[in-house]
Amino acid sequence: MATIVPPSPATGINNTAQDKIVEKVDYLNLPCPIPYEEIHREALMSLKPELFEGLRFDFTKGLNQKFSLSHSVMMGPTEIPSQSPETIKIPTAQYEFGANFLDPKAMLIGRVMTDGRLNARVKCDLTENLTLKANAQLTNEPHMSHGMVNFDYKGNDYRTQFQLGNGALFGATYIQSVTPHFSLGGEVFWAGQHRKSGVGYAARYNTDKMVATGQVATTGVVALSYVQKVAEKVSLATDFMYNYLTKDVTASFGYDYILRQCRLRGKIDSNGTVAALLEERLNMGLNFILSAEIDHMKKDYKFGFGLTVGE
Amino acid sequence: MASKVSLKAKGKTNKGSKGSKERSTVQCLKEWSTWTMKKAKVITHYGFIPLVIIMGMNSEPKPHLSQLLSPV
Repeated sequence: MATIVPPSPATGINNTAQDKIVEKVDYLNLPCPIPYEEIHREALMSLKPELFEGLRFDFTKGLNQKFSLSHSVMMGPTEIPSQSPETIKIPTAQYEFGANFLDPKAMLIGRVMTDGRLNARVKCDLTENLTLKANAQLTNEPHMSHGMVNFDYKGNDYRTQFQLGNGALFGATYIQSVTPHFSLGGEVFWAGQHRKSGVGYAARYNTDKMVATGQVATTGVVALSYVQKVAEKVSLATDFMYNYLTKDVTASFGYDYILRQCRLRGKIDSNGTVAALLEERLNMGLNFILSAEIDHMKKDYKFGFGLTVGE
Repeated sequence: MASKVSLKAKGKTNKGSKGSKERSTVQCLKEWSTWTMKKAKVITHYGFIPLVIIMGMNSEPKPHLSQLLSPV
């Protein structure tokens, strides 16, 4: 009857001993690294939440598994760039209509505003490893539209990307997994219109509990970040950004609480800014959002509230 | 496409003799590419959202037109 023989105590001890010994790394079978532009993904999620000011109402209606429409109303003061140090805000109200089509092979997202601005994103899997992504912001004003096309190739343990943008913008990135936890990448770009070119390098080390990234570029940017998952629902993040050409330094520290009914993210900055974003799930498909950003240096206080209906 | 190729060939053969003709080929190419980019921008600006809606309405299971317009 007992077909399964329980493991004898001797082999049991051997197994645990083997687990404690570091597993031999199979360098020919490394995991695929995350894309180069998402290298700071965890830090950005905690430290750069989508803060807004005023009222925001989003309604997403799904007609189909793959197709959905979205209506979005935003009312509030919008900052306009000004020469003087004080911020100038103009109250604006806008309505945005969007259509999303999501397929396993292709994804098309379009958003159009009342002033005629179109924001379009297309992602298409040409083959199993090659992906085409396109992104465009089109306006009615001349010379204010931007478009960019990316070709991504995913290999076994590396990813490459080639970018083409308007204004003669060319870019290429490459990222390679060096060990199961560590990946290194580099990027090159050339902007014809602004007569700029640059080279950058990035490194990322991640385990289950923490992610550390560093990035250096000839545009003067040095960015380091560290995210630690302190508990199952809590993670802390810190970020240090230094521009060695303009001598700008910013350090920030943030937290991210992902609880059952809500998600609370907050951060404090060395520029004297304190910000928080709360997303509370009131019901299935109904989310309440509160956003606050207090800038003590510029004396700029921004508070926003909103409601999101639909998935 | 064929006319573009023949213009290029003509430009290459007369390279030594007439520099102005070669310049006009390159200029023609630039003008055509600018014209196509402008038309593509207008087409994308007006046609992208209708394209997404048409693709969505033709996907399975087909949603009804009333579902598109009603706010429920």
